[in-house]
Amino acid sequence: MKEAVNKDTGAVGQWIPATGAEDIVTGAARYCPDIDLPGILTGKLLYSPHARARIRKLDVTAARNMEGVFAVLTHKDVPGENNYLYSQPDQPLLVIDEVRFQGDAVAAVAARDEATADAALQAIEVEYDVLDGIFDPLEAMKDGAEQLVSGEDNVLVSQLYRIGDVASALDSADVIVENTYHTQWAEHAFLETEGSVALVDEEGVLTVYSSCQAPHRDRLQIARSLGMPESMVRVITPYIGGAFGGKDEAHVQMHAALLAVAAGRPVRLIRGRRESILTHVKRHPMSVHCITAATREGRLLAVKARAIADAGPYHNATHEVLNKFGEFIGGPYTVQNLEVELIGVRTNNPISGAFRGFGAPQAAFVYESQMDDLARKLEMDPLELRLLNGVETGTKMYTGVVVREGQAMKASLQKAAQKIGWENRDQQQREPAPHLRRGWGMATILKGSGLGRGLGDHAGVVLEMHQDGSVVLLSGAADMGQGIVTILAQMAADRLGVPMSSVRAVRADTSRAPDAGASCASRQCMVSGNAVLAAADSIRDALLSVAAGKTKISKDRLDLRNGSLLIDGEPHELTIRELARRALFWGYPLHAESKYHFEYPEDVPPGKYRFSQEVFQFCTQVAQVLVDIETGQVTVERLIAVHDAGKMINPGGVYGQIEGGCAQGIGYALTEELVVSEGHTLNPSLENYVIPMALDIPEMEMDVLEIPEPIGAPLGAKGIAESPIIPTAPAIRNAILDATGKPLYRLPMNAERVLASLKS
Amino acid sequence: MTDTSIQMIVNGQARQFDSDSSRTLLSVLREDLGLTGTKDGCSQGDCGACVVLVDGQPVNSCMVLAPQVRESEVLTVEGLAVNGDFHPLQRAFSETWAFQCGFCTPGMLLSCYALLVSNSEPSREEILTAISGNFCRCTGYQAVVKAVEQAASELREMSGGGDRP
Amino acid sequence: MLTPDYIAPETLEDALSIKSRIGAGAKVIAGGTDLILRMRDRVFEPEVLVDLQRVSLDSIVCDEREMRIGPYVTLSRILNDTAIAALFPALAESCRHFAGPPIRNRGTIGGNIVNASPAADLVPPLLAYDARIVLRSLSGQRELALTDFFTGPGATVMESDEILTEVILPLMPARTASCFLKLGHRRSMAISIVNLCVRLSRDADGTLAAAKIVLGAVAPTPLHAVSAEEFLAGKKLSADQIAGAAKLASDDSSPISDVRASGSYRRQMAEVLVRRALTSVWEELAEENADD
Repeated sequence: MKEAVNKDTGAVGQWIPATGAEDIVTGAARYCPDIDLPGILTGKLLYSPHARARIRKLDVTAARNMEGVFAVLTHKDVPGENNYLYSQPDQPLLVIDEVRFQGDAVAAVAARDEATADAALQAIEVEYDVLDGIFDPLEAMKDGAEQLVSGEDNVLVSQLYRIGDVASALDSADVIVENTYHTQWAEHAFLETEGSVALVDEEGVLTVYSSCQAPHRDRLQIARSLGMPESMVRVITPYIGGAFGGKDEAHVQMHAALLAVAAGRPVRLIRGRRESILTHVKRHPMSVHCITAATREGRLLAVKARAIADAGPYHNATHEVLNKFGEFIGGPYTVQNLEVELIGVRTNNPISGAFRGFGAPQAAFVYESQMDDLARKLEMDPLELRLLNGVETGTKMYTGVVVREGQAMKASLQKAAQKIGWENRDQQQREPAPHLRRGWGMATILKGSGLGRGLGDHAGVVLEMHQDGSVVLLSGAADMGQGIVTILAQMAADRLGVPMSSVRAVRADTSRAPDAGASCASRQCMVSGNAVLAAADSIRDALLSVAAGKTKISKDRLDLRNGSLLIDGEPHELTIRELARRALFWGYPLHAESKYHFEYPEDVPPGKYRFSQEVFQFCTQVAQVLVDIETGQVTVERLIAVHDAGKMINPGGVYGQIEGGCAQGIGYALTEELVVSEGHTLNPSLENYVIPMALDIPEMEMDVLEIPEPIGAPLGAKGIAESPIIPTAPAIRNAILDATGKPLYRLPMNAERVLASLKS
Repeated sequence: MTDTSIQMIVNGQARQFDSDSSRTLLSVLREDLGLTGTKDGCSQGDCGACVVLVDGQPVNSCMVLAPQVRESEVLTVEGLAVNGDFHPLQRAFSETWAFQCGFCTPGMLLSCYALLVSNSEPSREEILTAISGNFCRCTGYQAVVKAVEQAASELREMSGGGDRP
Repeated sequence: MLTPDYIAPETLEDALSIKSRIGAGAKVIAGGTDLILRMRDRVFEPEVLVDLQRVSLDSIVCDEREMRIGPYVTLSRILNDTAIAALFPALAESCRHFAGPPIRNRGTIGGNIVNASPAADLVPPLLAYDARIVLRSLSGQRELALTDFFTGPGATVMESDEILTEVILPLMPARTASCFLKLGHRRSMAISIVNLCVRLSRDADGTLAAAKIVLGAVAPTPLHAVSAEEFLAGKKLSADQIAGAAKLASDDSSPISDVRASGSYRRQMAEVLVRRALTSVWEELAEENADD
């Protein structure tokens, strides 16, 4: 395909096709379900039909003896650790005695084909003693509630952050806004369900193809569960069909590996859609009681919140998600007094875990709704209220972190307001028909990039240039579609002065690339990007040394661009290819491995929160909605999104992330909800878990600010992956409030709830 | 009772395979014919990842029993490029970033291809309707609209029509 | 589940023989978009699937009295057919927002009828247009009003040896207007929370000659809002009367609560949609009246 590259400025900043685009549009791209190997077997898991039950009997003899069945495993057959290691190893791979939610796996089979695997599952004899589960966090928290895990409190997380003097602030406030909010379980609905292909290669290395976000962590987990050294395990990421946090924790990789080893044949284990919705993690549903206090001029004095999250049966990411919720509940505002109580409760409901935003969407729904309720009480323009309290560069936030680059907060607010015509909105037709009401609402948010100070947040990369000037880039960063492979290649290409077509960026393979950590927390652009630049600089330096020796001109006058050497900015006849040949001939290494640690400057005091983030994505979204006041249906007519990317390495990827995130945000706002009764999901399908499709999404008006992040951002770029999904729900909520006068406090704001609010 | 031998034309080539009613067109394409470009997103017709053309019409191949397409002509994503030349849609999808993870892309391409066969200058509304059975979770649909408009324009030029005034 | 045999007979007689011999164990498959799902869920476990794609059951024929539609006509074809758009616009409209294009290209009018879902989108317009259907067996055929066909969710009067072979729509009298409305959670790929069709025919003097108000997804079978229809008979509609009729229609309904909506919401929406439909259809007739 033609390379649409600006020859003068190189690949960075260019809207060039994604690496692998050709494979994708021709159907050649292979995802886990497409991987075929000689003798491959079909793996399947048997799940609990109950939300809580004790296993009275588990007999796999009949299944094992079936023709065409090559392995049937229970917990007894796990040679190593029978658990997931996300934060605490409390979720079993295969249940030992008690199933704690509908998605607990009880057995695993590998058979010659799907029909035989299904028959084998049927042949497994399992009997349960059904137990009374607890499905309401408030019930689980009560004194005297049964301990769902014997010896352990149902309250898994109880954390309090107290900053400043909230009590005095509340006393002195002129106005108080106090509300309780409820958010729902949300499903990632990545189009490729969880899957894995495992085989033992000729050298005895257990090779696992993993649809994942963290290949090196998967390798660790596989090794410890199989009781093998990590040096005998290899994880490869094929094309991955989306993740959004839902594949951060391992899912079926260990099961596939166990089956492959037991069966002595390759095994492909792919979850069906229904199975996927029933078993993998969901966004934490939360109930949040929030008090916001302000002066009559609108200055925020304090925020006090108590948040209860339904963790489901295991710890998973509950502590971390609540921590992030607590870190951002004050919003991108200068409020200095904040108290937040974070409670995570064990139940027998679906398991909660990582999902794009990681606590920030729930927090934003709360704080941005509070802001509009406050604006109404004060009879202030919601935009003015936000500008009055907005952080700026240099603001010391309530978290204790000083905002290094904060222009984007107010800049995005003002830009978004201008794009929607905020000043003139009252001149627009608010009542286009007797049953319709139009309204406008905004939300402005912040989200941190990186894992947070105090956590190991680093990435390595290997870069190698060959004699002919071609380059191989080996990164351990998983690309789930967000485009990390592409932008790393762009950065390497530019720094080395070669065209994109000379750079082969290999998808993450743990036997070839160093650990880059998980693709999460909007971090890869920064950590892996910086690692690439450092490695490229090393090779660049070697080439320039050779060039300096050949031309007798000092390095500071030399540059590399478009495949050639430049002297004082002018192209020279020496090509990079020739420089590479010479370098390698004379023994200069054109191979670099670098490790980059997310930068937390020593002289900056750490924030008050555990693992505070210090690089912020600011963004504002404004929604224009049309509410049918007789049916309660809400149409988003316009959605403005203004985001700060620091620098766009590839605009195509950035706009894709924004639009996709906004679409997810619209679903989270209006229709997406897992309906759960007594621990059972009633809508485990894409038919009844309602996600907006092409006719439901407005034409989005997106703007990206490029205000370079000063520290630790490669070329000024910072992650923007999570921010798009965060402001959408509160922006729509505030627009509905503007249209109908009715505030909503529960997500999703579906037609029935909107109608009910109108009748109240 | 049942003759399980099935002949059909896939991407212009006559293919034959054996199948009873337990298999779908999707599984035959992927497993028997090795055409793994078409994906399975839900196995029940909700998501459009499995869309292929049967006799020129986009259908969810996971919901077509293999014997039902006996004697039919099937077009999959592998059949869009001709002699190694990409179809304008394939180029346009790449250039506008009309996909990210790419899992929805084969089905999406086929829905758009079918639209352009019958409508050389579709409106935004017509494009959105054509893809209203194709679910994308990564990217949304705007870039797809742009890609289709771009490809439509290129196809009109190629056929000598040019843009209508 | 045993894999059913699959047969695509060349003639209708062959198909009817199979049905006669095997009965309910032989299921007719058209687009299969519903049947295949039910088979996977084990609601049906047929021995034989009978595919009539070789038998010409996909014609649309129209004369001065009626239109005859074969059961294998797909929803896409109905949507794009100019005669249907002109003569039975609500039927075309019911196909417009049905699922998405890939489903419309496979789903058929026969399938939508025979599946007998209370929420079937094509059925309210068909009922409002006084559709009749032809059921054939080896021993003969019978023609019945579609309104007599449904007995409950997924249940009909069709015998195990019968095949639906034709849908007949009488041409509507002059001064007829109709409308189809659907309420769903999104604009495509949505199962109706409530759907309905209103068809009004007017006399030359401007009074109502016939009123058909048919709702789906609010009762075990598609619902003729008879009390509302009778309430409006012979009148020139005012806003109050429309509101009254809408209330009666809503009162007649007995919707369930499910994962999509509560029964109470469905009942409220029945009233809202009937009112809107009656209003828009009456306005359309009034405009035609002005042209008389």
